[in-house]
This record gives sequence, C-alpha cells and structure tokens, in this order.
Amino acid sequence: MDSPREIWSRLRLWLRSNEMERDMDEEMRFHIEKLIERNVREGMSPAEARRTALVRFGGVERFKEESRRESRPRLLEELLQDLRYGIRALRRNPGFTLVAVLTLGLGIGANAAIFSVVDGVLLRPVPLENADRLMVVWETDRNTGTTREPASVPDFLDFRGLSRRFEQVAAFQGLELNLVPLEGEPRRLAALAVSHELLPMAGIRPLLGRTFLPADDETGAPGVALIGESFWQKQFASDPGVLGRAIRLDDLPYTVIGVVPDSADFGTLQILSAADYSRAFADRGRAARVEVWVPLRPDPETLPRATHPIFVLGRLAPGATPEQAQQEMTAVMADLEKTYPENTARGAFIEPFPEVVFGPVRPALLVLLGAVALVLLAACANIASLLVARGAVRQREVAVRTVLGAGWRRLLRQFLVESALLTAAGVALGLVLASLTLDLLVAMAPGGIPRLSEVGLDGRVLSVMLAVSVLVALTVGLIPAFQARKTDLQATLKEESGHGSTTDRQRSRLRSVLVVAELALAVVLSVGAGLLLKSFWRLQQIDPGFRTEGVVKAEVQLPASRYPRSFATWPDWPEQQGFNDRLVERVRALPGVESVAMAGNHPLDAGFTNSFSIVGREDEARDWPEIAIRRVSAGYFPTLGVQLVRGRLFQDGDGAKAPPVLLINKEAARRFFQGRDPLGQKISYWRTEWTIVGIVSNERFLGLGEAPPAAVYSPLAQAPSMNGSGCLLVRGRGDLAALIPEIRGAVRELDPGLAVFGEEPLATTLAESMGQQRFTMLLLAAFAGLALVLAVVGVYGVLSFVVVQRAPEMGIRMALGATQRYVVRQVVWQGARLALVGLALGLAGAFVLTRFLSGLLFGVGATDPVTFLAVPGLVLLAALLASWVPAQRATAADPMSILRAS
Amino acid sequence: MSKESGDLIPGTLDMLVLKALQLEPMHGWGITERIEQWSKNVLSINQGSLYPSLYRLQRQGWITSEWQVTENGRRARYYQITRAGKKQLTEEQRNWKRLSQAVDGILEMTAP
Repeated sequence: MDSPREIWSRLRLWLRSNEMERDMDEEMRFHIEKLIERNVREGMSPAEARRTALVRFGGVERFKEESRRESRPRLLEELLQDLRYGIRALRRNPGFTLVAVLTLGLGIGANAAIFSVVDGVLLRPVPLENADRLMVVWETDRNTGTTREPASVPDFLDFRGLSRRFEQVAAFQGLELNLVPLEGEPRRLAALAVSHELLPMAGIRPLLGRTFLPADDETGAPGVALIGESFWQKQFASDPGVLGRAIRLDDLPYTVIGVVPDSADFGTLQILSAADYSRAFADRGRAARVEVWVPLRPDPETLPRATHPIFVLGRLAPGATPEQAQQEMTAVMADLEKTYPENTARGAFIEPFPEVVFGPVRPALLVLLGAVALVLLAACANIASLLVARGAVRQREVAVRTVLGAGWRRLLRQFLVESALLTAAGVALGLVLASLTLDLLVAMAPGGIPRLSEVGLDGRVLSVMLAVSVLVALTVGLIPAFQARKTDLQATLKEESGHGSTTDRQRSRLRSVLVVAELALAVVLSVGAGLLLKSFWRLQQIDPGFRTEGVVKAEVQLPASRYPRSFATWPDWPEQQGFNDRLVERVRALPGVESVAMAGNHPLDAGFTNSFSIVGREDEARDWPEIAIRRVSAGYFPTLGVQLVRGRLFQDGDGAKAPPVLLINKEAARRFFQGRDPLGQKISYWRTEWTIVGIVSNERFLGLGEAPPAAVYSPLAQAPSMNGSGCLLVRGRGDLAALIPEIRGAVRELDPGLAVFGEEPLATTLAESMGQQRFTMLLLAAFAGLALVLAVVGVYGVLSFVVVQRAPEMGIRMALGATQRYVVRQVVWQGARLALVGLALGLAGAFVLTRFLSGLLFGVGATDPVTFLAVPGLVLLAALLASWVPAQRATAADPMSILRAS
Repeated sequence: MSKESGDLIPGTLDMLVLKALQLEPMHGWGITERIEQWSKNVLSINQGSLYPSLYRLQRQGWITSEWQVTENGRRARYYQITRAGKKQLTEEQRNWKRLSQAVDGILEMTAP
C-alpha cells in the first residue's frame, strides 16, 4: 500500500521526467528493433531474433535507471568526496598544514586589519551630504607664503554676501571650554562655534530638537547649545527630556536645544590641523571629539578684519566648478585688498573638503595597504612552493589516480579543494588575528586620522577578504595543479623513488622561481621599511631646541567670566596675571620641582604669528612674513633649557606697567637684523613698541621636521592670553607621573572650577608629534620582517629539498674524496644564486616603488644609496644562513648509506 | 556471439563514443555498429553501458542530441559531438597514449 505522500512524490517525478522517460523508451525500442533486424539478416527466425535481441540487450529497466543517474548532475557528490579526501590529506601532514595555515593566517590577518583601517577611514562614504561639493575657503598671505590661514569675520561676511559660485557659505571656530558639571571635577571639552548655516549645509540632522536658526546667530541672543550623542549619553543618560536643560560652559549658562550625531564634527579636526594657526583643540593631541556646538555669532565689531579666528566652508552652486569658485574668490579678495589695508597681500585658496580631510593620511594608509598586499603575495608564493614540494611526494599518487581514470578536471578540482581548505583555515586564523590586533592598531595610530574609532571588521571588510581569499585559493591551487599536469606518467610509474627525474628538476625550478619572488618581495618591503626607519632616526636625531627630559606640561583655559579680558585695559589683566603668578609660586614649592614656567603655548604648539615692523625700518616690513609670537614667564628659559645668546632674559620687573620688552630668537636675528645689532632696537606690533633686550636659541615649535621659525618672546605679564589659554611647564626630579596629581591639586586650590588638561611629560608630547611617522615605520617594519621570515623559510625549504635530491651525487663526491667544505659551498652557492636573483629583482622593484614613499620620508631620498645597499645585504645574509643549515645536513649524512639508499 | 572477450577497460567507452561521433552525428545503434566495425569486431559495445555513457557525455556537455528521421523514415535520436567534446577527445587520446605506453613499459620491464 502506497501512502499518499509516496504517490505524490512518484507523480511529481513522473511529471517531471515524463518526456525524458518517453524518449528513453523510444530510443531503446529503436535499438532493439535494429538488433532484431540484424539477427534476421544473419538468418534467424523473427521470433528467435526477437528473443536473442532482448537477451542481448539485457534488463531495459536497469539501463534506464543507470542512464537516469548518469544524466543527473554529480557536482555535489564529487565535491564532498574531494573534500573528504582533502581533509584526510591535510591531516596526514600536520607539519605542512600548520606552516601553510600559519603563513596564510598571518598574510590574511595583516590584510584584514589594514584593509579595515583603510576602508573605515578612506573608502566609506563621508557622513555628510554632498561632501564632494563642499570646499574649504582658506585665506592666503603672499608675504608669509602661507596658504591655509583662517579667515576674518568681516571677510566671511563679505564672501557670504558676494559669492555666486557658492550657493551657501558657513563658518566655524574651534573652542576649548570648561564644563562645570553638577558633580565631579570640571572638565575641558572641545567645542565648535558654528554659523547657523553650517550644520544644515553639511546635511546634519539633529537626533533630537533642532539645529541653529538665523536668530541664534544674532549678537545678544540667549545662549543655546547643541550637544553630541556621546555627551548626551554620558552627561544625561540619553534622557529625551534634555531639551531645555542648561549646561554651564566657562561659567555661562547655555540651554540645550538639540542633540546631534557624533559624526557632526566630521572633518573639522582635520581642517583645524591643516590650518596655519587658530587650531584650537587640534593642537591637543588625540582627545579631540567635539562634544558641544554653540552659535558663532560672527560680529565684525568684536572680531575685526585684522584677526583671523574662523574657518569658512562653502557648498558649490549647481554647475559651478572648484576652479570657478577659486577665480571668483580671488577676485573678491583682490577687491577687499584694495579697500582695506588689513587685507594687504591676502588672497583665497579653495580646497575640496575631502582633500583637506583625507589628504594627510591617504599616502601613509595606501602605502601600508600596498605593503600588506605584497606580504600576502609572499605568503601565497610560500604556500604554492610548499604545495609544489608536496606534489613531489604526491606525484605517484597523482599518476596512479590518472591511470585509474581520474580526468584532468577532476585532479584540478582536487588541488583546488585542498587549497580552498587551506585558505579557509588560513582566513579563519587571519580574521581571529586581525580582530585581536585591530584594537592595538587603532590605539597605536596617531591622532588626527578621521573616524578611526569607527574602524572594525564588518561585513564590508569580510566580503572583500572573502574575494581576496578566493583569489588566494585559486593562485595557490593552480600552480601545483599545472605542475602536476606536466608530470611524466611513464617515468613516474617506472621510478622506484622520486630522485633526480626531469619532473623533479622542473619542480625544483618552479620552487626556485617562487622563492626568488619571495626574496624580491622581501627586498622591496625591507628597503621601504629601511627608508622609513632612517627617516624616523633622522627625525629623532634633530635637536628640538628645548629640553624634554624631566619636564611635565599641564594646560588650563581661564574663562573670561572670572578672568576678565577687557581689550581697553590690555595688557593689565590682574586676575589672569594673579592666577599665573600664584600657580607658578605654588608649583615651585612642590617637592622635587626645580623650575616652573607659564606660557601661552607649549614648545610644540605652533601658536600664532603676527605682522610686525622694526621701528625706523617700517618700509622694509611691507613684504616681511609674519613672526611667531611666544608669550612666556621668566622661568620658561631655564625650565626648557633654551639658551641666552646675548643680552638678558626676562626679570620679575618686566610687568604690565613696566616698559614692554622682547627677546628674539637667533633665526629672527639672522633674518631681520643681518649686520645690525638687534639689542635696544624696537619692534612694533599690537600697537605697542617693544624693546629687544636679548637673543635666545631657536626652538622648533612647528615640529621636528620643520625648520625653526623666526620668533619673538614677550613676557606673559606684558602680553596676557587673549583667549585665556595657558600652559604650565614644570621641570622636576624623579617620578614625573607623581607630579601630575600634585599640579592638579595646586590648580584646584586656586580655582576649583578650572579643568586641567593635556597633562603629560613633554617627552610624550614630542613622541606624539612623530606619531604618524612612528606608526607607518613600525607597521612597515613589521610587514618587512614578516616577508623576510617567509623568504627565509622559502629558501630553507628549497635547499632542503635540493639537498635530499642531490644526496646521491653528494654521496658519490664525498666518497671520491670531496671535502665537507666543498659540499657546503655547493649548497650555499645554490642558495646564494637564488638570493642574488631575488635581490636584483627586488632592488629594481624597490627603485620603482619607493617613490610612493617620498612624501613620508624625512632627510632621506627615496633611493637612498645606504639603504639600497644595507638592506639587501641583510636579506642576502639571511638567505645564506637559511641555506647553510641544509648544507650542513648534506655533509652530516653517511655517504655509504645514501648511496645504498639510491 | 563470442565477442565477450572484448570487454572494455572502464573509462575508455566514453573516449570511443566521442571518437565515433567525431565525423558525423549518429544514433546509439549506429555508434555500436561503428565501433564494432572499426575494431574488426574485437570490441563489443554493451548497450547497457552505451546509453548511460551517452547520457553522461551529454551532462558533461561533450555531446548534444536531437530527434531526427532516419533514411527509412523512422524516428531516432541522433548524437552530435560539441567543441568541448572534441577538445576532451584530444585530451583523452593523449592520456591514453601515455597510459598505454606506461603500461607497456612496465610489462616489458617485468618480462625477463
């Protein structure tokens, strides 16, 4: 009795294969009829002919069944079989499997990690609307040669009114504010003052509430603020009732009117970092997520044309090109220059927003991506070489399977399945390695890389890695498969053991090619790493002009509410001066402190520049560049070890009411006082005349890689900070870390509402300033090391194989009296030959490729001869060492036993 | 009827079928006759393996089939070799040559 289900399944089968069944029946009936015809022709009676034909044909149903089976696709079945076979083969050779999986794992892992960084930072779409239509409008200064200066407020208002190529123009300013929470210590936070157009122009929509309206930008409007998502979570536990609540920033109350996504600050840090000055929090290292947005309120009354604190962004009008915008802005600036003396020598520079944001990190990231791809190539070559070597062991197996009817396609599939298995294991290991190292990588990365915190191993990265792995599996599988195809069946089957056949020689040659490729890749990467290493070393050799050992810095920002900054009474601001004096006094009294200084900026903060003239030589000043203005207390020079060259340093008497005095650095003396004595001369800026009382040594406050700029130092007491920022520099003995809480304590005692930030040893600040160079160098060195290890393993593997292969020959030679040294030399020479070919190719490759590094180098040419000689020497040495070990083994064996074995 | 000694080595039937079809399309019976004739009746084709073989070759894309009318006005399924089938035939012929040489070599070697 058939169950309904069985009947149904039969019916379905019948329906589907009905046609094929009828065809099959008809075909076989035709065949039987032909058989009968022949039987009759051969003289049988029709009945006999029919009977014989049926017997001859056999069971029709059985054949039909077999035919049906044959017509069904078999792929899955065979694939499973290959898979089982492959797993068995890999388990039989745990050593090989381990090395191959480890090699691939490292290669894939490094690629996955670097690719996730490149993808997360560079490739992902920018979280702003039409980011490629956004342009940064920089001001330029023909006198100083600077091209990325911020704009003045009146200039911005003129751009906004006059431009037609931009459909919208907006501005922002970086701020650092003290947040005084209801509980806990005051905290400094990074904020942006934005004109009301900025957020809508960038397509940023609030998560809650609203963004700014034109009314919010009016002078005297009530204080309102937007907060970032993270700040909302941290400070308000994501309370939706946050709208309308107040936060205190620098003692002023602001009403929260909206919450914006954290990505709303996208690109601003990079714009600030690229700027020649007014960089605000971009100079504070890595803690630079914007937490609060306030209205900019661009008021030409308080911020006149001579001050340049804001950054202008514009969105191109439909159809307008950046070139047209540049022309228009150049014309606008030329008009402004004619009208206002403050705009002398000023122009505009239009730079696409994505270029500003990604330009500085793109070269290093792409170099790393290229390097890591080369590492993967080397890993593939290594595994292919291992598989070819294993092919030697397996060639009899392959031959036997060919004889047994396994087609070439089937063999090819078998090889591919094996390489796919290896690759799958390698990818699994690689992804584990990548996820483990990615956090480390992100932590090691220098500050200022856009959206680095969003980097992760996600679906995008995984799918790209999957595609890469398929390529890897194909490469790794096809090379040994084609090698196996060339195998000489007859010779293989005839041979007793695998020694010395032509196939072996071919195989050996193929492996040599692969090893040469590995060596060449190792050379390319090592030369690149060598160049970066030398750059970094060069950079570190540079004397910054100030001493970092034993020096700690800590920064504060004095709010105008408690430390009034009235321009009418400048420079006599007793509140700020009193705070500075008392803080220096208190910290100097701390145990272990040797000297203390207060300064406008720490020595690696570029600070700001100003135009100036020398009294009596005003005409010359017209085409002079601006000069860096440093404001420091008397303790600055001993604390940082800046040397007095001539004259005197500051004294306690150089106060707000005393005659204004200045120190200039050697560079300023060289540049502006050639052949004259600067001492006693007067320099004029800020509507004040300052008498030069001394000359001090140069400091490289633009960074180690930049030449020390011409600078003047004025006493902090005579030039207090106009934005309230101050940097405490403390030189102490012993544990610097222990000093930091003491310094915090001293600030708290003076003003409990003041946040201390940027507190760290100055040596850390200096190291951080070389963060990008260090990051690129370390990674490239790691990749080069990895490639070198792979190459050494490759050389070792090939020569071990050669030694086994040539053992009988060597046995005979030794039996005939060849010395061990001769044998060693023979083998090592073979290794050296591989190495030399690899070196030659690698050097040629490096010669072509290192030009991509040139933007990352410092004090070293892209084809630095020393590096191009030393690095290959190192690779050669490693290769020789790798061949020496198997060479020793060749001599260790007893010649007689080798001869007997063969 | 004493043709049973001419059993085929497994795997060679497909090659012979492809060879038979190399010149012109044929029906199953024609292939049988052609191979027996070429081998001077040394090889006999077992119908039970011929049809599975034809279906297999079709699945692999080396031959195609079409119903046509024979010269006697009878409907029969004609098989035709494809381009891929021709390549496969060359490949198999080369393999066969190597294999038979190898086997010959061994046989010669083991003979005293």
